Amino acid sequence: MIVTRKALARRTFLRGAGAAVALPFLDSMVPALATAATTLKPPVRMAFVYVPNGVDLRNWSLGYEGNLDKMSRILQPLEPYKRDINVLGNLTHNAGRALLDGPGDHGRCSASYLTGIQPRKTMSNIKAGVSFDQIVGKHVGAGTSFNSLEVGLEDARQAGDCDSGYSCAYTNNLAWRAESQPLPPTLNPRALFERLFGEDAAMTPEARRSRNLYRRSVLDLVSDDAKRLAQDLGPTDQRKLDEYLSSIREIELQLARADKDSIRIDPGFDKPYGIPADFAEHFSLMTNMLTVAFQSNLTRVATFLVTREGTSRAYREIGIPDGHHPLTHHRGQEELMEKVSRINVYHVQQFAGWLGKLKAIQEGDSNLLDNSMIVYGAGLADGNKHSHEDLPTVMAGRGGGHFQTGRSIVYRKETPMCNMFLTMMDRMGVPTEHFGDSSGPLEGLDLS
Amino acid sequence: MQAAEKPPVGLVYDANLGQTIDSVLALALLHGFAGKQQCRIASLTINYPDLRAAHLCDAVERFYASATGPGLGGFVPAAAPIGIAEGHKAAPDLPILAKPWESKIKKWNDTAIPELLIRNALMAQYDGDAVMVLSGPATNLASLLKLTDILPLLSAKVRVLVISGVGFNADIPAARRVLAEWPTPIVCCSPEIGEQLPFPGASIDSAFSYNAAHPIAAAYRAAHEMPYDAPGAAMAAMLYAIRPNDGYFTTSEPGAFSISSDGAVQLQALAGGPHRWLKADPAQRERISKIYVEMASAKPVAPPPRRLPPQLQQEQKPPAKPVGR
Repeated sequence: MIVTRKALARRTFLRGAGAAVALPFLDSMVPALATAATTLKPPVRMAFVYVPNGVDLRNWSLGYEGNLDKMSRILQPLEPYKRDINVLGNLTHNAGRALLDGPGDHGRCSASYLTGIQPRKTMSNIKAGVSFDQIVGKHVGAGTSFNSLEVGLEDARQAGDCDSGYSCAYTNNLAWRAESQPLPPTLNPRALFERLFGEDAAMTPEARRSRNLYRRSVLDLVSDDAKRLAQDLGPTDQRKLDEYLSSIREIELQLARADKDSIRIDPGFDKPYGIPADFAEHFSLMTNMLTVAFQSNLTRVATFLVTREGTSRAYREIGIPDGHHPLTHHRGQEELMEKVSRINVYHVQQFAGWLGKLKAIQEGDSNLLDNSMIVYGAGLADGNKHSHEDLPTVMAGRGGGHFQTGRSIVYRKETPMCNMFLTMMDRMGVPTEHFGDSSGPLEGLDLS
Repeated sequence: MQAAEKPPVGLVYDANLGQTIDSVLALALLHGFAGKQQCRIASLTINYPDLRAAHLCDAVERFYASATGPGLGGFVPAAAPIGIAEGHKAAPDLPILAKPWESKIKKWNDTAIPELLIRNALMAQYDGDAVMVLSGPATNLASLLKLTDILPLLSAKVRVLVISGVGFNADIPAARRVLAEWPTPIVCCSPEIGEQLPFPGASIDSAFSYNAAHPIAAAYRAAHEMPYDAPGAAMAAMLYAIRPNDGYFTTSEPGAFSISSDGAVQLQALAGGPHRWLKADPAQRERISKIYVEMASAKPVAPPPRRLPPQLQQEQKPPAKPVGR
């Protein structure tokens, strides 16, 4: 047998003047004579999508264990993906509770969500802990362009009192690089795009607008390289490459629309350049870029703070002019609870859209969603009671074929959320004995 | 953050509910003192691995919670979880568990992992403001000792661990671990003390008669054929834990406990040792019996609100300032 095919390096870039586009996982990256033991498996990625102010548990909870069957009202948008997810019950973050620090559940729950540490109650000398996504990112980031990506949709300040004496740094960040160093999420899609694909993020909006008149697509810059590469690829990989480059082009077009929208809708408003006016469009744009970043191994770790904890954002997009946070203190009033549920459904709809994108991307015999762990969750369970147990949690993806999905799993009460982190760290190749208040890995997720 | 004025002592009770009526009476005693704000119930766990024991505990808790209506603004505090050990039952079923106790607990995941419930409860106590009472095997406490960084927490929070000797030797490896590693003083109440200070069974038909469905009275009647006076080692341990300085009991010279392979607990004299026996004073018998009945039969009372619920705190703030900006 004569083997002529050469394996393409996993970290291959398409290069052009001032641009470098990483490639997705292609069949050609598997060595031609690879055995089962040496077959290059797609890497496992992980992300957290955090929603604030808890949920309406009446409409979140499934009320059963075992195989996912009838979805609850809030989880209904995940119906097409219920074979790809697990709904986890009774996970607890004790560090989010008051313990001895009094009011401030919003500040505590967001700061402790990924750190597992009760934050110091302060507005100045903040202190929490290194979040586990950063620990993982540091370990797996050597093979990627970015240790991690932090994104969000809502502008927020980083100082001052955001909840009963807790600094805004606690409510407005998920990821913490060091115990006193939160990583603010990137809100502007163009800034994220340029971080991923270019180096002009520091330009002023005016300069960028002027430049954009003459701007060529980043794909134009690398097109020659792409053509050369395509000649060496099989038909399947050629199709994958086409789809991948098309998705980048789609993001560019979305960004162009966002630029136009932000000028057309609110020309005099001091608003970050390039942020879509529409919440769903903004969410879609950010997740498109996270998808590409995962697909092309630019990063394997991401956190997505949908809106900041305790936010009073209104959702006029779905006819809710009231602030989210005040609504969650509904005191049992049905009208207000209904609005909370609608916001919760709206958020899950956006999340479902992302899962669809991930699932559509083939990676060998599996897909990008299969090779990921995408957690959708909140740091509060019931926003009215400020409860920190039975936190709403959906784990999407099979963690690289390791998890059995399609189930509702209810753990015993007080099971630490940090146990799930331990399990995720293990799947990311960062086995750890202890994190936060963990008592051991989370059981029941693995294929038996 | 540590406040200058501490609340009443927080009591962590790990009980062999279902195996002895004594442990149920100790729970009633605990509620009696908590109702008079002489202690707080920090956590309740069960070391007898039978879900029906959790049903019994839940029934008792729901009875005492019945006085707790909606607070200001209609805010109803969530029921505290009950922790229970999982594992193999070493003892035969007892009549007290044959009774169908009304409970919302249907499955194991309606209950908490005991060692985590205890740890999390301790983290919410002020330093030196918690006491622990163990009646039965030390299974749960041995699991607690396996948790990372638990020893500094126990040292900081727990004044004393008071053990009722009845059933302590049912899990000898766990008992050995606790006696060897527990970082705070331990006081042990021998089964003999329980025999010397029984609960007066005649009071069941009188002191508890204010409620025909009183679960403590029902449990007492179900446990053994009436009339009888139940041995009270767990009650003695509970009384000492809550009121150590009221002269009900004295303690032995210090030493170090060990447990033999046949389950006998012995105290080796050791100057400055961390362990002591609880000692009964015959002159206190009537006084102890009286307080047993008074506190165990006390009517449920609503606990004082510890702080305003979140939405009312919001109302007291200037209305224009949203949380989270």
